[in-house]
Order: sequence, then structure tokens, then C-alpha cells
Amino acid sequence: MKEEKCVVVENRHLNKKYFLMKLEARYISTHAKPGNFIMLAASNTVDPLLKRPFGILKAEPPFIRLYYEIVGKGTELISTLKPNDKVDAIGPLGNSFPSLENKKILMVAGGRGIAPIYYAFEDYTSTNDVFLIYGARSRDDLNLREEIDTVPLKKVLLYTEDGSMGKKGLVTADTREIILENNIDVTISCGPDAMFKSLFHTIDDLEKENYVSLEALMGCGFGICCGCVVKTAAGDYKKVCTDGPVFKMEEIAWEK
Amino acid sequence: MGKVDVDLSADLGFITLKNPVIPASGCFGYGEEFQPFFDLDILGGFVLKGIYLQPRKGNPPPRLHETAAGILNSIGLAGPGAKELKTIIKRVARFTSTPIIVNVCGETDEEYLEVAETFDAMPEVALLELNISCPNVRKGGKCPAQDDRHTFRLVKLIKQNTRKPLVVKLTPNTGNIVSIAISAQEAGADCLSLVNTFLGMAVHLESRAPVFKNLVAGLSGPAIKPLALKLVWEVCSSVSIPVIGIGGITTGKDVLEFILVGASAVQTGTINMVEPCASVRIIDEIESLMKELKIKNLNEIKGALKV
Repeated sequence: MKEEKCVVVENRHLNKKYFLMKLEARYISTHAKPGNFIMLAASNTVDPLLKRPFGILKAEPPFIRLYYEIVGKGTELISTLKPNDKVDAIGPLGNSFPSLENKKILMVAGGRGIAPIYYAFEDYTSTNDVFLIYGARSRDDLNLREEIDTVPLKKVLLYTEDGSMGKKGLVTADTREIILENNIDVTISCGPDAMFKSLFHTIDDLEKENYVSLEALMGCGFGICCGCVVKTAAGDYKKVCTDGPVFKMEEIAWEK
Repeated sequence: MGKVDVDLSADLGFITLKNPVIPASGCFGYGEEFQPFFDLDILGGFVLKGIYLQPRKGNPPPRLHETAAGILNSIGLAGPGAKELKTIIKRVARFTSTPIIVNVCGETDEEYLEVAETFDAMPEVALLELNISCPNVRKGGKCPAQDDRHTFRLVKLIKQNTRKPLVVKLTPNTGNIVSIAISAQEAGADCLSLVNTFLGMAVHLESRAPVFKNLVAGLSGPAIKPLALKLVWEVCSSVSIPVIGIGGITTGKDVLEFILVGASAVQTGTINMVEPCASVRIIDEIESLMKELKIKNLNEIKGALKV
């Protein structure tokens, strides 16, 4: 990991509050692994002070791509960055997805959680059968569909809460059945907390190898501030930034 | 053009640091986390995250809340305990010769003493910093730094039983920080560091709930700099021992301002979290600014505020 001054190549508004950003980041792009994230400055002044964490969508040296949603003041400011703007980043940060071979993998993405999931496709699809369930509120929240279509996935199932695309319902609605029908060995999920909780309570007893990639508000991103902790099943706290963001699902204390 | 040589060294009396920049406790981990970013040898010193005798889990999340040019934190001094920290210090000391400062915590005076004695015995440790802002379990959560007599008693106890120079870290969350500073000096403190975070609060309007389970949290970052500068000025005007200024420092200019009001050195806090190489930049900025203002050494401006 390093502090790197990146150059904005593209910061494209997709729809609603979603953006696709391409950054020139020589160091980060050549050292990143699927699952890693970066901390990106929201301003070149001290307000807002904290950098924002973003799961990497793809690293194609010397570039990285990010897929993000405006959720507050920081991401709002980041969305105003223009090509050739310079922006400070720290990365690559965090652990990465496990190496897997000859497995049937079910990847579950909720909303902007598709970003790190997408980054893992290339590695996983070369030696595994990869299934994807991708869900969001509505059709407009279900971005990157064209990119996903180019990936050799075994099966893609889309869900929207309002039924505007794919099946109507929550992303977790049929997970259990899909795991059983397709003899899935491993699940890897990324999305909002409610999705993880529902997933945990639906599939935990199937005794599969389950991984989650967590999102958290972070102060530093490299283990210093201890601000991004998550409670574990063992009763202590782990840092999402350096112990994660990828955890075994059973490691985390999921509330009912 | 003649080469201007500037001397960045910071003299605390009992130790001379190569420069006045010391990353503060809680904002620099145990030093080793910054190894990938820069060579720790460039620092004046660094303070390790506050340590109690036993491992501590810390507070439940949320632990952070961003405010205008600052952050509120309620981490709860999570840490590995004194035994594990000894191992960490031995490891860190192998790759840097920069003075290592241990921030000593305790829930009781006895615990403070035991922690202080543990690290007083380590040759790898240069100084002890006594964090007298820890809630005391026998005083209903009140910390020693909120009571002159308790501060005096605790500092004296530590000084009588340890040999390393003792820095006493003060909190701004007290009625009269100057009288606490004087009590610490009278009890034998070698140096003071101030200030710790300011207590603040954040609430959720929608749910009408406080953000933090503890209701209040510590505010740090550039937002507190003017408040800290005033308290450092007041304390420096009232004590004769050296003072390390802390509070929202993010630039070399900030450092020189704290020295101008009387500080001998400074600690940098929150900026280390958001800009890991901040120390490198700040030290460079001090040097450039001293050259620009024709300040040959820090003693020239220390406490030189014209009032």
C-alpha cells in the first residue's frame, strides 16, 4: 500500500446516483487483487477530512475503475471530479477473496456491492463454475449489466424489489434453492447489511463455505483508527479495513 | 545565493529531538503500520496507542462520526495489553532509532503504576506519557485530569517509582487546565502534552437517537486547532516545564504557531490517519517556512508571541 496521487481519466454519471470512475493509478493498479479497496480523498482541503473507501471494480494497469453511488457529502464531491483532476488515494488496501479452484461458486451482489464481486469474476471463471445473483431496488440500480454479459458466467439471475427488471423480490429470495439445485460449494456476497443478515439466516445451516465482503465507514483504511470494527461471533471486534473486508460469514455476529 | 541552514531540533531539556514532529497516541498505531509509507527515522519521536495492563476490546460501533473539519471518536482505547505491547515494541525498535513514547493508561492508580513500571524497564522506550484522561473506575468514571489533587497524587506516584522522563497528557475537558498543569508540574512531571480530544456530541435527527452509545465522544482534527492553541498558550504562560502542543495540526505552519505560543514540540493526530505521509510533508514545510522567515532554530520563536 502507498499514498498515490491519481489522475481522473473518466468520471461518468450512469443514472440516478451511480457513477463509473476511471483513475490512472500506477502503483495501486499493479498491486491490487480482487477484493481490495482504496481510500479516495473527497476534497483537497480539510473538510471533509476523511478519505472514502471504495471497493475496486477492476484494475487494468495503469488504471483502476470504481463503481460508486452518491451516499453523502464525500461521494457528492467525488462525483464532481473532472478528467485530468488529481486526487489523493491510499491503496491497495484490505485482504482479498480466497483462491478457489474447481468449485461451484455462487456470487451474490446487492446494489453497489457488485463492484468487488465483478473484480473477482476474471480469476474465478477461469477455473470454477460461477453463478451470479444480482439484485437492487429497481432497474436503474442494476447497473453494469452489459459488462456482466461479457463474463462467462454459468447463470445470471437478476432481482429487483419493484419488479422493474428480473424477478420481483429481494436478492436473497431464492438463494437457498439455487444453492441446493446447483450443488454450490462456495458463496461470496457483497451488499448492504440487511442482505448479509438475511443471507446468513437463510443459508448458514447448509454448511457451505461462505464469504462476505463488508462495507464500513472508515477513518483511515489501514488499521490505525480502529473506527470500522465489526462484532464477531466470538464476541470481540475485527477491523473491516485490515482484518477484512472479506470475512468468512460465520465469523461475524449477525443480528436477527 | 547563500545556503541558509536551519536547525529543526526540538530541545525538551531531558531529550533533544531531531525535529518537533511527534505523531500522537491513537493516531499512529504502534509505528509499524506506517513502515510501508515512510522511514520512521525522520520523526522527532512517536507515541504508541494508549495501553492498559490487560487487552481491551474497545467500544461497540459506531466509533467514528465525521464533523466539519474533524472527527468524533469513541474507540474506547482498544488494545492488546501491556504484555503484547512489549513484544511489539521490541519488533518496532529493530527498524527505527526514533524515540518511542509509551502512552500509559489505567483504570486505577495501581494499574497506571504497573503499566508505567513495565515500560520504564524497557531500554527500547525513551519516554513515558501518562494519559490522565482515562475514566477511573473508583471515581465513578471521572478521570484524574479533572481533579488537581488526583493529578498530583498520581503523577507523584509514577515519578517516585519510575526513572524515565515523564510527559503528562492533559485533557481540555476540565474546569481549569492551568491548575491541573501546575499540579502535574509540582508533582514532578518532566513535561506536559496538551490537549487530548474535546468532548463533543452528535445526534440523529430522524431517529432522535445519539450517534454514540456513550452519548459523548472526543473531537479531533483541524476543527479544534484554535481551541487547542489557546490552551497551550495559557499553560505555557503558567508552567516552567516544557510543553508539547497537540490539537488539529496539519501543516508546518501550524507547528510553528504552537511553538510561537510556547510549545517545545508538537504531536500530530488525526492528519496521520487521513494522510499517512503527513509527517514527511509537515517536516518539509517547517524547514521551508523557517528558511522563508529566516528562523535559524526553534528557540528563536519559542514563546516569542508579542502580546
